[in-house]
Amino acid sequence: MYRDVRDYLEKLKRELEGADPALIQDALSDAEGHLRTALEEESVRTLGLSETKALESIIEKYGTPSEVASAYRAIESRIPPVLAATRPQDSRSLWARFFGVLAEARAWGAFSYMLLALFTGIIFGGWTLLGGLISACSLLFIIGLPIFGLFLLSIRGIALLEGRIVEALLGIRMPRKPLFLDRSLGWADKFKALVTDAYSWKSFLYAVLLFPLGIVYYGVFGLLFVLSLSFITSPVLELVFHIPLDLFGDNVFTPVWFLPVVCIAGFFLLPLTFHFAKFIGKIHGRFAKSMLVRK
Amino acid sequence: MTDANKKFQKELNSGIAALVLLGVLDQAKDAMYGYQIAKLIETHDEEIPMMKQGALYPVLRSLESSGLLESFVNPSVSGPPRRYYNITESGRETLIRWMEIWDRTKGFVDRILEGKADV
Repeated sequence: MYRDVRDYLEKLKRELEGADPALIQDALSDAEGHLRTALEEESVRTLGLSETKALESIIEKYGTPSEVASAYRAIESRIPPVLAATRPQDSRSLWARFFGVLAEARAWGAFSYMLLALFTGIIFGGWTLLGGLISACSLLFIIGLPIFGLFLLSIRGIALLEGRIVEALLGIRMPRKPLFLDRSLGWADKFKALVTDAYSWKSFLYAVLLFPLGIVYYGVFGLLFVLSLSFITSPVLELVFHIPLDLFGDNVFTPVWFLPVVCIAGFFLLPLTFHFAKFIGKIHGRFAKSMLVRK
Repeated sequence: MTDANKKFQKELNSGIAALVLLGVLDQAKDAMYGYQIAKLIETHDEEIPMMKQGALYPVLRSLESSGLLESFVNPSVSGPPRRYYNITESGRETLIRWMEIWDRTKGFVDRILEGKADV
């Protein structure tokens, strides 16, 4: 017997203990969405019944927390994130592993994330800072409360969207469903729940940090990539097309004897850049998971 | 239903749910949300439901991550925001192949159970 939807969700959360936090968030979001929709849509049939009674038949069809949890666990084990590592043991030689990174979807995913971070950082971070400032100022007036509430909701939306980007490009399992606020709560309680939920503030902090991080990621990886390509192509550019190296405004021709060294250095720098992107992507993924997944 | 029957039904459902969901969304005129799909399936179900509605959601998500379905979230006037699902072109092609597999499997099992196979 379940007192209300919240009670069911608590029990479902307990059944899913130990599972990936993102999976738990999805399962709770699915269950809450279904149960509340069912309560709304069957309200005519269950008119006069308490929520406990009305829920009884709905949950009988939906499944007990244990049945639902086992369905999620069974399917989750079959669908890892798109770019998640699937190679259990890499038996390739050191050289093959070093240069093979250029053929790894996950490395390209991480590299793309680093470049995209400039735009997501500016958009998400910019909105968070600007929107935060405006809504904080508006708090001086009574009209500011709903504006601030809407702003916090938008941060949750950003957190979900960023989570989808992180999962697609970095291969880290992130929530796939939005979090709902309990509809039975009044406006004041909803606002209180939003403001007191650590998830809102962690998402806020993440979006703010993404602003400088995005600039650094783009700067570092953009520079390393361009540098690698210019090193690799330097013999052709300098000897065939007579295009000099542009060193901070000075046009410099590399000594001919040194060109092969520069070219070979470029061939090493390119895979090194992708290994570095994979490494930073892994760390960033863990950071995103710790900030954007509700515990 | 006994535990053994429940276990058998659960094992059968693990593959059938995906086929059923693709079939429902292939015939749907508009995008459908989880509860709507569950209710539609319920109308075709017998007295004892074959699959729990809660088990449909992870399958929907799995089909979406495989590119067979696509979804979008729309706010609802009367309840929480709803995720609407649509079948993709790749989903339709997959459904045709899965229906062939289903027909072959069904025919094979029927032949065995009706004793028409050469033993």
